[in-house]
Amino acid sequence: MKLHDLRGLVLPLLLLGAWEYASRQDAAGAFAFVPLTQVGSAWVELLGSGELLINLWASLVRTCTGLAVGIVGGIGLGALMALSAPANRLIAPLFHALRQVPMLGWIPLIALWLGNGESAKLLIVSLAALYPMVLNTFESLRQVEGQHREAARVLMLSRWQQLWLILLPAALPGIAAGVLQALAFAWVTSVGSELFLSSGAGLGSLMMNAEAAARMEIIVVCVLCIGLSGYLMSWLCTLLTRRLLRWRPNR
Amino acid sequence: MNAIAHALPTTAATSASTGALTIRGLSKAYPLKGKPVPVLEGIDLDIQPGEFVSILGASGCGKSTLLRLIVGLDQDYQGQILLDRQPVHGPGLERGIVFQDHRLFPWMTLQQNIALALKNHEMPATQKDRLVAEHIALVGLSGYEQAYPHQLSGGMAQRAAIARALVNKPKVLLLDEPLGALDALTRVRLQQELQRIWVQERCTVIMVTHDIEEALYLGDRVIVMDAHPGRIREDLRIDLPHPRERDSQVLHGYKQRLLGELVGH
Repeated sequence: MKLHDLRGLVLPLLLLGAWEYASRQDAAGAFAFVPLTQVGSAWVELLGSGELLINLWASLVRTCTGLAVGIVGGIGLGALMALSAPANRLIAPLFHALRQVPMLGWIPLIALWLGNGESAKLLIVSLAALYPMVLNTFESLRQVEGQHREAARVLMLSRWQQLWLILLPAALPGIAAGVLQALAFAWVTSVGSELFLSSGAGLGSLMMNAEAAARMEIIVVCVLCIGLSGYLMSWLCTLLTRRLLRWRPNR
Repeated sequence: MNAIAHALPTTAATSASTGALTIRGLSKAYPLKGKPVPVLEGIDLDIQPGEFVSILGASGCGKSTLLRLIVGLDQDYQGQILLDRQPVHGPGLERGIVFQDHRLFPWMTLQQNIALALKNHEMPATQKDRLVAEHIALVGLSGYEQAYPHQLSGGMAQRAAIARALVNKPKVLLLDEPLGALDALTRVRLQQELQRIWVQERCTVIMVTHDIEEALYLGDRVIVMDAHPGRIREDLRIDLPHPRERDSQVLHGYKQRLLGELVGH
Protein backbone atom coordinates (compact mmCIF):
# COMPACT_ATOMS: atom_id res chain seq x y z
CA MET A 1 0.00 0.00 0.00
CA LYS A 2 1.37 3.40 -0.93
CA LEU A 3 1.82 6.18 1.58
CA HIS A 4 -0.85 8.44 0.15
CA ASP A 5 -3.45 5.68 0.56
CA LEU A 6 -2.87 5.94 4.31
CA ARG A 7 -3.67 9.63 4.43
CA GLY A 8 -7.37 8.81 4.79
CA LEU A 9 -6.57 7.35 8.20
CA VAL A 10 -5.06 10.56 9.64
CA LEU A 11 -8.32 12.28 10.58
CA PRO A 12 -9.99 9.20 12.16
CA LEU A 13 -6.85 8.60 14.29
CA LEU A 14 -6.77 12.24 15.39
CA LEU A 15 -10.45 11.98 16.30
CA LEU A 16 -9.77 8.85 18.36
CA GLY A 17 -6.96 10.66 20.16
CA ALA A 18 -9.21 13.65 20.95
CA TRP A 19 -11.93 11.27 22.15
CA GLU A 20 -9.54 9.46 24.51
CA TYR A 21 -8.19 12.82 25.78
CA ALA A 22 -11.75 14.09 26.51
CA SER A 23 -12.61 10.87 28.37
CA ARG A 24 -9.69 11.37 30.76
CA GLN A 25 -10.58 14.95 31.86
CA ASP A 26 -13.21 14.41 34.54
CA ALA A 27 -16.17 12.22 35.51
CA ALA A 28 -18.61 14.01 33.17
CA GLY A 29 -16.12 13.58 30.31
CA ALA A 30 -15.69 9.92 31.12
CA PHE A 31 -19.44 9.44 30.92
CA ALA A 32 -20.04 11.33 27.66
CA PHE A 33 -16.85 10.02 26.00
CA VAL A 34 -16.38 6.49 27.29
CA PRO A 35 -12.71 5.46 27.34
CA LEU A 36 -11.58 3.49 24.30
CA THR A 37 -10.62 0.51 26.45
CA GLN A 38 -14.23 0.24 27.62
CA VAL A 39 -15.47 0.44 24.02
CA GLY A 40 -12.99 -2.29 23.14
CA SER A 41 -14.17 -4.63 25.88
CA ALA A 42 -17.83 -3.95 24.94
CA TRP A 43 -16.92 -4.94 21.38
CA VAL A 44 -15.36 -8.20 22.58
CA GLU A 45 -18.34 -8.88 24.86
CA LEU A 46 -20.91 -8.27 22.11
CA LEU A 47 -18.95 -10.37 19.64
CA GLY A 48 -18.59 -13.18 22.17
CA SER A 49 -22.29 -13.30 22.99
CA GLY A 50 -23.14 -13.19 19.28
CA GLU A 51 -25.37 -10.19 19.89
CA LEU A 52 -23.44 -7.92 17.55
CA LEU A 53 -23.43 -10.33 14.63
CA ILE A 54 -27.11 -11.24 14.97
CA ASN A 55 -28.16 -7.60 14.98
CA LEU A 56 -25.72 -6.56 12.25
CA TRP A 57 -26.91 -9.45 10.09
CA ALA A 58 -30.57 -8.49 10.60
CA SER A 59 -29.85 -4.91 9.50
CA LEU A 60 -27.78 -6.04 6.51
CA VAL A 61 -30.38 -8.53 5.27
CA ARG A 62 -33.13 -5.92 5.52
CA THR A 63 -31.00 -3.36 3.70
CA CYS A 64 -30.18 -5.74 0.86
CA THR A 65 -33.75 -6.98 0.47
CA GLY A 66 -35.15 -3.44 0.44
CA LEU A 67 -32.39 -2.35 -1.93
CA ALA A 68 -33.20 -5.18 -4.33
CA VAL A 69 -36.90 -4.31 -4.30
CA GLY A 70 -36.07 -0.61 -4.78
CA ILE A 71 -33.64 -1.29 -7.65
CA VAL A 72 -35.99 -3.56 -9.59
CA GLY A 73 -39.03 -1.37 -8.98
CA GLY A 74 -37.12 1.86 -9.57
CA ILE A 75 -35.62 0.74 -12.88
CA GLY A 76 -39.04 -0.50 -13.99
CA LEU A 77 -40.88 2.66 -13.01
CA GLY A 78 -38.11 4.97 -14.26
CA ALA A 79 -37.98 3.15 -17.61
CA LEU A 80 -41.78 3.28 -17.95
CA MET A 81 -41.78 7.03 -17.29
CA ALA A 82 -38.85 7.67 -19.65
CA LEU A 83 -40.20 5.60 -22.54
CA SER A 84 -43.90 6.36 -22.39
CA ALA A 85 -45.02 9.98 -22.43
CA PRO A 86 -48.59 9.15 -21.29
CA ALA A 87 -47.27 7.11 -18.36
CA ASN A 88 -44.93 9.95 -17.43
CA ARG A 89 -47.73 12.52 -17.51
CA LEU A 90 -49.84 10.22 -15.35
CA ILE A 91 -47.21 9.24 -12.76
CA ALA A 92 -44.74 12.12 -12.57
CA PRO A 93 -46.85 14.65 -10.57
CA LEU A 94 -47.77 12.09 -7.90
CA PHE A 95 -44.23 10.71 -7.76
CA HIS A 96 -42.58 14.11 -7.35
CA ALA A 97 -45.11 15.14 -4.71
CA LEU A 98 -44.64 11.95 -2.65
CA ARG A 99 -40.88 12.33 -3.00
CA GLN A 100 -41.05 15.57 -0.98
CA VAL A 101 -42.17 13.71 2.16
CA PRO A 102 -39.05 12.80 4.15
CA MET A 103 -38.58 9.05 4.68
CA LEU A 104 -38.97 9.39 8.45
CA GLY A 105 -42.27 11.21 7.83
CA TRP A 106 -43.75 7.99 6.48
CA ILE A 107 -42.99 6.02 9.63
CA PRO A 108 -46.11 6.97 11.66
CA LEU A 109 -48.41 6.16 8.75
CA ILE A 110 -46.67 2.91 7.88
CA ALA A 111 -46.59 1.89 11.56
CA LEU A 112 -50.35 2.35 11.72
CA TRP A 113 -50.88 0.27 8.62
CA LEU A 114 -48.35 -2.50 9.10
CA GLY A 115 -47.45 -2.36 12.80
CA ASN A 116 -43.82 -2.12 13.87
CA GLY A 117 -42.66 -5.47 12.52
CA GLU A 118 -40.32 -6.43 9.72
CA SER A 119 -42.71 -5.68 6.84
CA ALA A 120 -43.07 -2.04 7.91
CA LYS A 121 -39.29 -1.59 8.01
CA LEU A 122 -38.85 -3.35 4.69
CA LEU A 123 -41.39 -1.05 3.06
CA ILE A 124 -39.55 2.03 4.34
CA VAL A 125 -36.16 0.77 3.12
CA SER A 126 -37.59 -0.18 -0.28
CA LEU A 127 -39.19 3.24 -0.70
CA ALA A 128 -35.93 4.96 0.24
CA ALA A 129 -34.08 2.96 -2.42
CA LEU A 130 -36.84 3.43 -4.98
CA TYR A 131 -36.63 7.23 -5.27
CA PRO A 132 -33.03 7.61 -6.44
CA MET A 133 -33.43 4.59 -8.75
CA VAL A 134 -36.47 6.08 -10.49
CA LEU A 135 -34.82 9.49 -10.87
CA ASN A 136 -31.50 8.15 -12.18
CA THR A 137 -33.07 5.60 -14.52
CA PHE A 138 -35.41 8.22 -15.92
CA GLU A 139 -32.70 10.83 -16.47
CA SER A 140 -30.12 8.50 -17.98
CA LEU A 141 -32.61 6.86 -20.35
CA ARG A 142 -33.72 10.31 -21.48
CA GLN A 143 -30.13 11.24 -22.21
CA VAL A 144 -29.26 8.26 -24.43
CA GLU A 145 -27.75 9.76 -27.55
CA GLY A 146 -29.84 9.96 -30.69
CA GLN A 147 -26.95 8.38 -32.60
CA HIS A 148 -27.35 5.14 -30.67
CA ARG A 149 -31.09 5.11 -31.27
CA GLU A 150 -30.56 5.69 -35.00
CA ALA A 151 -27.97 2.95 -35.30
CA ALA A 152 -30.38 0.58 -33.55
CA ARG A 153 -33.15 1.50 -35.99
CA VAL A 154 -30.92 0.97 -39.01
CA LEU A 155 -30.06 -2.50 -37.65
CA MET A 156 -33.82 -3.22 -37.47
CA LEU A 157 -33.86 -4.09 -33.77
CA SER A 158 -37.33 -4.56 -32.28
CA ARG A 159 -38.52 -2.27 -29.47
CA TRP A 160 -37.63 -4.85 -26.82
CA GLN A 161 -34.22 -5.42 -28.33
CA GLN A 162 -33.64 -1.67 -28.41
CA LEU A 163 -34.55 -1.46 -24.71
CA TRP A 164 -32.44 -4.43 -23.55
CA LEU A 165 -29.48 -4.17 -25.88
CA ILE A 166 -29.17 -0.45 -26.49
CA LEU A 167 -31.10 1.84 -24.12
CA LEU A 168 -30.47 0.10 -20.79
CA PRO A 169 -26.73 -0.53 -21.39
CA ALA A 170 -26.35 3.07 -22.58
CA ALA A 171 -28.09 4.24 -19.38
CA LEU A 172 -26.10 1.86 -17.15
CA PRO A 173 -23.54 4.43 -15.90
CA GLY A 174 -26.36 6.65 -14.63
CA ILE A 175 -28.28 3.69 -13.20
CA ALA A 176 -25.15 2.50 -11.38
CA ALA A 177 -24.74 5.94 -9.83
CA GLY A 178 -28.35 5.60 -8.70
CA VAL A 179 -27.62 2.22 -7.08
CA LEU A 180 -24.79 3.76 -5.08
CA GLN A 181 -27.14 6.48 -3.80
CA ALA A 182 -29.94 3.99 -3.18
CA LEU A 183 -27.56 1.83 -1.14
CA ALA A 184 -26.66 4.74 1.12
CA PHE A 185 -30.34 5.68 1.59
CA ALA A 186 -31.34 2.05 2.23
CA TRP A 187 -28.67 1.58 4.89
CA VAL A 188 -29.51 4.83 6.68
CA THR A 189 -33.27 4.19 6.67
CA SER A 190 -32.78 0.55 7.67
CA VAL A 191 -31.01 1.58 10.89
CA GLY A 192 -33.27 4.61 11.24
CA SER A 193 -36.46 2.54 11.01
CA GLU A 194 -35.13 0.32 13.83
CA LEU A 195 -34.74 3.35 16.06
CA PHE A 196 -38.39 4.28 15.56
CA LEU A 197 -39.93 0.82 15.26
CA SER A 198 -37.77 -0.86 17.87
CA SER A 199 -38.89 -4.44 17.70
CA GLY A 200 -36.90 -7.41 16.49
CA ALA A 201 -33.19 -7.54 15.77
CA GLY A 202 -31.05 -4.81 14.25
CA LEU A 203 -28.26 -2.41 15.10
CA GLY A 204 -30.79 0.37 15.73
CA SER A 205 -32.70 -1.77 18.23
CA LEU A 206 -29.43 -2.69 19.92
CA MET A 207 -28.66 1.01 20.28
CA MET A 208 -32.07 1.84 21.70
CA ASN A 209 -31.73 -0.90 24.30
CA ALA A 210 -28.23 0.31 25.19
CA GLU A 211 -29.51 3.85 25.61
CA ALA A 212 -32.24 2.64 27.99
CA ALA A 213 -29.57 0.81 30.00
CA ALA A 214 -27.18 3.82 29.83
CA ARG A 215 -24.53 1.63 28.16
CA MET A 216 -22.66 4.37 26.27
CA GLU A 217 -19.92 2.00 25.09
CA ILE A 218 -22.43 -0.24 23.26
CA ILE A 219 -23.87 2.78 21.47
CA VAL A 220 -20.38 3.71 20.33
CA VAL A 221 -19.73 0.17 19.10
CA CYS A 222 -23.00 0.30 17.13
CA VAL A 223 -22.16 3.67 15.59
CA LEU A 224 -18.75 2.36 14.52
CA CYS A 225 -20.35 -0.76 13.05
CA ILE A 226 -22.92 1.25 11.11
CA GLY A 227 -20.26 3.52 9.66
CA LEU A 228 -17.85 0.74 8.74
CA SER A 229 -20.51 -1.52 7.21
CA GLY A 230 -21.92 1.31 5.12
CA TYR A 231 -18.44 2.19 3.93
CA LEU A 232 -17.68 -1.44 3.03
CA MET A 233 -20.95 -1.88 1.17
CA SER A 234 -20.49 1.19 -1.00
CA TRP A 235 -16.91 0.10 -1.68
CA LEU A 236 -18.15 -3.32 -2.87
CA CYS A 237 -20.80 -1.59 -4.94
CA THR A 238 -18.16 0.61 -6.58
CA LEU A 239 -16.04 -2.45 -7.41
CA LEU A 240 -19.04 -4.19 -8.97
CA THR A 241 -19.91 -1.07 -10.97
CA ARG A 242 -16.37 -0.83 -12.30
CA ARG A 243 -16.57 -4.43 -13.44
CA LEU A 244 -19.92 -3.87 -15.17
CA LEU A 245 -18.72 -0.67 -16.83
CA ARG A 246 -15.34 -1.98 -17.95
CA TRP A 247 -16.27 -1.04 -21.53
CA ARG A 248 -15.84 2.61 -20.64
CA PRO A 249 -12.53 4.33 -21.38
CA ASN A 250 -10.46 5.00 -18.26
CA ARG A 251 -10.57 8.63 -17.39
CA MET B 1 -53.62 -17.78 -56.24
CA ASN B 2 -52.10 -19.25 -59.35
CA ALA B 3 -51.20 -15.86 -60.69
CA ILE B 4 -49.13 -15.14 -57.58
CA ALA B 5 -47.45 -18.52 -57.69
CA HIS B 6 -46.50 -17.96 -61.32
CA ALA B 7 -45.24 -14.50 -60.65
CA LEU B 8 -42.69 -15.71 -58.10
CA PRO B 9 -40.11 -17.34 -60.41
CA THR B 10 -39.90 -14.26 -62.62
CA THR B 11 -39.08 -11.95 -59.71
CA ALA B 12 -36.48 -14.46 -58.58
CA ALA B 13 -35.00 -14.51 -62.07
CA THR B 14 -34.65 -10.73 -62.28
CA SER B 15 -33.03 -10.56 -58.86
CA ALA B 16 -29.85 -12.05 -60.31
CA SER B 17 -28.35 -8.58 -60.03
CA THR B 18 -30.23 -6.53 -57.45
CA GLY B 19 -29.52 -3.20 -55.85
CA ALA B 20 -30.91 -0.83 -58.51
CA LEU B 21 -31.89 2.45 -56.92
CA THR B 22 -34.26 4.86 -58.61
CA ILE B 23 -34.99 8.32 -57.26
CA ARG B 24 -37.73 10.38 -58.87
CA GLY B 25 -38.54 14.02 -58.18
CA LEU B 26 -37.22 13.88 -54.63
CA SER B 27 -37.67 17.06 -52.60
CA LYS B 28 -37.25 17.66 -48.91
CA ALA B 29 -37.73 20.78 -46.78
CA TYR B 30 -37.06 21.49 -43.11
CA PRO B 31 -39.25 23.96 -41.28
CA LEU B 32 -37.30 26.95 -39.99
CA LYS B 33 -39.18 29.54 -37.91
CA GLY B 34 -42.45 28.25 -39.32
CA LYS B 35 -41.34 28.52 -42.94
CA PRO B 36 -40.21 25.51 -44.99
CA VAL B 37 -36.59 25.78 -46.15
CA PRO B 38 -35.85 23.49 -49.12
CA VAL B 39 -32.84 21.19 -48.58
CA LEU B 40 -33.27 18.98 -51.63
CA GLU B 41 -35.14 19.91 -54.77
CA GLY B 42 -36.07 17.78 -57.74
CA ILE B 43 -33.48 15.03 -57.38
CA ASP B 44 -33.64 12.41 -60.16
CA LEU B 45 -31.12 9.61 -60.04
CA ASP B 46 -30.78 6.12 -61.51
CA ILE B 47 -28.16 3.89 -59.97
CA GLN B 48 -27.34 0.53 -61.54
CA PRO B 49 -26.82 -2.62 -59.49
CA GLY B 50 -23.23 -2.88 -58.34
CA GLU B 51 -22.38 0.68 -59.21
CA PHE B 52 -20.13 2.84 -56.99
CA VAL B 53 -21.55 6.37 -56.97
CA SER B 54 -19.78 9.23 -55.25
CA ILE B 55 -21.86 12.25 -54.29
CA LEU B 56 -19.71 15.34 -54.05
CA GLY B 57 -20.72 18.71 -52.75
CA ALA B 58 -20.01 21.50 -50.31
CA SER B 59 -21.52 21.33 -46.85
CA GLY B 60 -25.17 22.34 -46.87
CA CYS B 61 -25.96 20.80 -50.23
CA GLY B 62 -28.17 18.17 -48.59
CA LYS B 63 -26.02 15.20 -49.52
CA SER B 64 -26.21 13.65 -46.05
CA THR B 65 -29.96 14.31 -45.96
CA LEU B 66 -30.23 12.40 -49.23
CA LEU B 67 -28.60 9.35 -47.60
CA ARG B 68 -30.86 9.62 -44.54
CA LEU B 69 -33.88 9.53 -46.84
CA ILE B 70 -32.55 6.51 -48.76
CA VAL B 71 -31.74 4.57 -45.58
CA GLY B 72 -35.22 5.36 -44.26
CA LEU B 73 -34.39 7.29 -41.08
CA ASP B 74 -36.46 10.21 -42.35
CA GLN B 75 -39.68 9.49 -44.21
CA ASP B 76 -40.97 13.02 -44.57
CA TYR B 77 -40.29 13.94 -48.21
CA GLN B 78 -41.87 14.39 -51.61
CA GLY B 79 -41.05 12.15 -54.54
CA GLN B 80 -40.12 8.50 -54.85
CA ILE B 81 -37.28 6.29 -53.72
CA LEU B 82 -37.38 2.83 -55.29
CA LEU B 83 -35.06 -0.07 -54.57
CA ASP B 84 -35.41 -2.72 -57.27
CA ARG B 85 -38.68 -1.01 -58.23
CA GLN B 86 -40.10 -1.34 -54.70
CA PRO B 87 -40.78 1.85 -52.74
CA VAL B 88 -38.60 2.25 -49.67
CA HIS B 89 -40.47 2.45 -46.34
CA GLY B 90 -38.34 3.04 -43.26
CA PRO B 91 -35.04 1.30 -42.52
CA GLY B 92 -34.34 -2.18 -43.86
CA LEU B 93 -31.50 -4.67 -43.72
CA GLU B 94 -31.10 -4.56 -47.52
CA ARG B 95 -29.68 -1.07 -47.01
CA GLY B 96 -26.62 -0.65 -44.80
CA ILE B 97 -25.12 2.65 -43.71
CA VAL B 98 -21.80 3.84 -42.31
CA PHE B 99 -21.77 7.27 -40.70
CA GLN B 100 -18.88 9.68 -40.26
CA ASP B 101 -18.70 8.72 -36.59
CA HIS B 102 -18.44 4.95 -36.31
CA ARG B 103 -21.52 4.60 -34.04
CA LEU B 104 -20.37 1.30 -32.61
CA PHE B 105 -22.00 0.58 -29.26
CA PRO B 106 -19.34 1.26 -26.62
CA TRP B 107 -20.56 -1.50 -24.26
CA MET B 108 -20.13 -4.25 -26.84
CA THR B 109 -16.95 -5.81 -28.12
CA LEU B 110 -16.10 -5.54 -31.80
CA GLN B 111 -17.47 -9.04 -32.34
CA GLN B 112 -20.72 -8.31 -30.46
CA ASN B 113 -21.20 -5.07 -32.38
CA ILE B 114 -20.97 -6.85 -35.72
CA ALA B 115 -23.04 -9.84 -34.57
CA LEU B 116 -25.80 -7.43 -33.49
CA ALA B 117 -26.51 -6.69 -37.16
CA LEU B 118 -27.41 -10.39 -37.60
CA LYS B 119 -29.64 -10.41 -34.51
CA ASN B 120 -32.92 -10.88 -36.38
CA HIS B 121 -31.66 -13.22 -39.08
CA GLU B 122 -32.93 -16.76 -38.94
CA MET B 123 -29.77 -18.76 -39.25
CA PRO B 124 -27.86 -21.14 -37.01
CA ALA B 125 -25.48 -19.56 -34.48
CA THR B 126 -22.48 -21.26 -36.09
CA GLN B 127 -23.28 -19.64 -39.41
CA LYS B 128 -23.60 -16.25 -37.71
CA ASP B 129 -20.24 -16.73 -36.01
CA ARG B 130 -18.68 -17.64 -39.33
CA LEU B 131 -20.16 -14.59 -41.09
CA VAL B 132 -18.97 -12.29 -38.30
CA ALA B 133 -15.47 -13.76 -38.40
CA GLU B 134 -15.37 -13.48 -42.20
CA HIS B 135 -16.33 -9.82 -42.14
CA ILE B 136 -13.88 -9.00 -39.37
CA ALA B 137 -11.22 -10.58 -41.58
CA LEU B 138 -12.54 -8.71 -44.63
CA VAL B 139 -11.84 -5.35 -43.01
CA GLY B 140 -8.51 -6.58 -41.62
CA LEU B 141 -9.41 -6.59 -37.92
CA SER B 142 -8.78 -10.25 -37.07
CA GLY B 143 -7.29 -10.45 -33.58
CA TYR B 144 -9.34 -7.51 -32.28
CA GLU B 145 -12.62 -9.43 -31.85
CA GLN B 146 -12.74 -8.89 -28.09
CA ALA B 147 -11.67 -5.23 -28.12
CA TYR B 148 -14.10 -2.54 -26.98
CA PRO B 149 -14.60 0.44 -29.33
CA HIS B 150 -12.63 2.83 -27.10
CA GLN B 151 -9.63 0.54 -27.46
CA LEU B 152 -9.64 0.90 -31.26
CA SER B 153 -8.12 3.74 -33.26
CA GLY B 154 -10.40 5.93 -35.38
CA GLY B 155 -9.51 4.05 -38.55
CA MET B 156 -10.05 0.66 -36.95
CA ALA B 157 -13.42 1.70 -35.53
CA GLN B 158 -14.48 2.87 -38.98
CA ARG B 159 -13.42 -0.46 -40.49
CA ALA B 160 -15.54 -2.18 -37.85
CA ALA B 161 -18.49 0.03 -38.78
CA ILE B 162 -18.04 -0.99 -42.43
CA ALA B 163 -17.98 -4.66 -41.41
CA ARG B 164 -21.19 -4.16 -39.40
CA ALA B 165 -22.91 -2.59 -42.40
CA LEU B 166 -21.71 -5.33 -44.76
CA VAL B 167 -22.40 -8.41 -42.64
CA ASN B 168 -26.09 -8.33 -43.66
CA LYS B 169 -25.06 -8.55 -47.31
CA PRO B 170 -26.99 -5.37 -48.14
CA LYS B 171 -27.97 -4.63 -51.72
CA VAL B 172 -27.04 -1.01 -51.20
CA LEU B 173 -24.28 0.29 -48.96
CA LEU B 174 -24.57 3.95 -48.01
CA LEU B 175 -21.45 5.74 -46.83
CA ASP B 176 -21.92 9.15 -45.21
CA GLU B 177 -18.47 10.77 -45.28
CA PRO B 178 -17.12 7.56 -43.80
CA LEU B 179 -13.51 8.72 -43.82
CA GLY B 180 -14.19 12.38 -43.05
CA ALA B 181 -12.95 12.27 -39.48
CA LEU B 182 -9.74 10.35 -40.14
CA ASP B 183 -6.20 11.66 -40.55
CA ALA B 184 -4.84 11.96 -44.09
CA LEU B 185 -2.70 8.80 -44.07
CA THR B 186 -5.37 6.54 -42.56
CA ARG B 187 -7.77 8.04 -45.02
CA VAL B 188 -5.73 7.10 -48.07
CA ARG B 189 -5.20 3.58 -46.72
CA LEU B 190 -8.91 3.11 -46.06
CA GLN B 191 -9.81 4.39 -49.53
CA GLN B 192 -7.72 1.53 -50.95
CA GLU B 193 -9.40 -0.86 -48.54
CA LEU B 194 -12.85 0.36 -49.54
CA GLN B 195 -12.00 -0.21 -53.19
CA ARG B 196 -10.72 -3.73 -52.47
CA ILE B 197 -13.82 -4.57 -50.40
CA TRP B 198 -16.19 -3.22 -53.05
CA VAL B 199 -14.45 -5.14 -55.85
CA GLN B 200 -14.87 -8.25 -53.71
CA GLU B 201 -18.51 -7.69 -52.60
CA ARG B 202 -19.88 -5.82 -55.63
CA CYS B 203 -22.87 -4.31 -53.90
CA THR B 204 -24.26 -0.94 -54.93
CA VAL B 205 -22.42 1.80 -53.05
CA ILE B 206 -23.42 5.43 -52.61
CA MET B 207 -20.73 7.46 -50.90
CA VAL B 208 -21.17 11.05 -49.82
CA THR B 209 -17.94 13.01 -49.53
CA HIS B 210 -16.50 16.50 -49.85
CA ASP B 211 -13.12 15.18 -50.94
CA ILE B 212 -12.76 15.48 -54.75
CA GLU B 213 -9.88 13.00 -54.99
CA GLU B 214 -11.74 10.42 -52.92
CA ALA B 215 -14.88 10.80 -55.02
CA LEU B 216 -12.92 10.33 -58.26
CA TYR B 217 -10.68 7.52 -57.03
CA LEU B 218 -13.61 5.35 -55.90
CA GLY B 219 -16.62 6.31 -58.00
CA ASP B 220 -17.86 4.84 -61.27
CA ARG B 221 -19.86 8.04 -61.29
CA VAL B 222 -19.40 11.31 -59.50
CA ILE B 223 -22.58 13.26 -58.85
CA VAL B 224 -21.79 16.91 -58.16
CA MET B 225 -24.37 18.73 -56.08
CA ASP B 226 -25.19 22.42 -55.68
CA ALA B 227 -26.38 23.90 -52.42
CA HIS B 228 -29.38 25.98 -51.27
CA PRO B 229 -31.39 24.11 -52.25
CA GLY B 230 -29.53 20.85 -52.85
CA ARG B 231 -29.78 19.71 -56.44
CA ILE B 232 -27.74 17.75 -58.93
CA ARG B 233 -25.42 19.92 -61.00
CA GLU B 234 -23.48 17.30 -62.87
CA ASP B 235 -23.36 13.55 -63.36
CA LEU B 236 -19.85 12.57 -64.32
CA ARG B 237 -19.02 9.06 -65.53
CA ILE B 238 -15.49 7.89 -64.75
CA ASP B 239 -14.70 5.13 -67.22
CA LEU B 240 -11.68 3.63 -65.55
CA PRO B 241 -11.57 0.00 -64.41
CA HIS B 242 -11.09 -0.88 -60.74
CA PRO B 243 -8.74 -1.20 -58.94
CA ARG B 244 -7.45 2.19 -59.96
CA GLU B 245 -4.13 3.94 -59.75
CA ARG B 246 -4.28 6.97 -57.52
CA ASP B 247 -1.93 9.02 -59.77
CA SER B 248 -3.78 8.26 -63.01
CA GLN B 249 -3.66 11.14 -65.54
CA VAL B 250 -7.36 10.75 -66.30
CA LEU B 251 -8.31 11.20 -62.65
CA HIS B 252 -5.97 14.18 -62.43
CA GLY B 253 -7.68 15.82 -65.40
CA TYR B 254 -11.10 15.37 -63.82
CA LYS B 255 -9.79 16.71 -60.54
CA GLN B 256 -8.58 19.96 -62.12
CA ARG B 257 -11.90 20.37 -63.85
CA LEU B 258 -14.00 19.74 -60.73
CA LEU B 259 -11.76 22.00 -58.64
CA GLY B 260 -12.32 24.78 -61.14
CA GLU B 261 -16.09 24.23 -61.07
CA LEU B 262 -16.49 23.93 -57.33
CA VAL B 263 -13.98 26.46 -56.05
CA GLY B 264 -14.24 28.95 -58.91
CA HIS B 265 -11.58 30.14 -61.31
